[in-house]
Amino acid sequence: MTADGTHGKIRLIEENCTSCMICARECPVWCIQIDSHTEVDPTAPAQQTGRGMRPRTRNVLDRFVIDWSLCMYCGICVEECPFDALEWNGAHVAPRPSLDALSFGIDELA
Amino acid sequence: MTVRCVDWYGNRSLLVVDIALTCCALEVEAAAGRAVRGEVVELAEVTAQDRVAVVVSGTVTDAVLPLVREIIEAVPQAQVVAFGACASSGGPYWDSYVVTKGIGQVCEVAAYVPGCPPPPEALEHAFHEILQG
Repeated sequence: MTADGTHGKIRLIEENCTSCMICARECPVWCIQIDSHTEVDPTAPAQQTGRGMRPRTRNVLDRFVIDWSLCMYCGICVEECPFDALEWNGAHVAPRPSLDALSFGIDELA
Repeated sequence: MTVRCVDWYGNRSLLVVDIALTCCALEVEAAAGRAVRGEVVELAEVTAQDRVAVVVSGTVTDAVLPLVREIIEAVPQAQVVAFGACASSGGPYWDSYVVTKGIGQVCEVAAYVPGCPPPPEALEHAFHEILQG
């Protein structure tokens, strides 16, 4: 939220994100794009299954983009994230001369 | 068609044409209410030295697009401001079959103002950048 209580831009707390896609799917305008891959978690014990040992995997976030030219600043993503990886982050995004400049990746959303 | 410009700062530094299409127009009006604002200037009185910002505020449907284009093309030195998500990229209607996905598809845009709607200060911000070139 901004100082006067209006919705501003949104911060991504990368280490909290599990790439679960809930924010992207709940977004009414589909302005969030997420790419991720899975990796075997070497610290977690493998699980015995009917087909032998199954390693534990976890999602690794590769790309997280909010397109501010589409965003409605509604905050549904902030509300829905089960891991508190999204939060309000002060003032609105400033006007830009190109649409590409309004697509913020992981670093710009930090 | 009659196009009128508002002398936004009252010193002829920036003339503003608002193409008020949908709800974003309310925020442009709110910004106009706070601006100094001088006289209304007819398009015929605009000279080559004037800076003119054409604000597209709201959803550009395919049906209304020819009219929007006509207004933009009537102002030769128009610097187009895409105000809000709809005018920038189609916004919530990005997958609609009757909505233009941003005015940038048909003309040069000087500033894309994000928000749904953007606050009035965001328009001031865009004008400031236009004035600074």
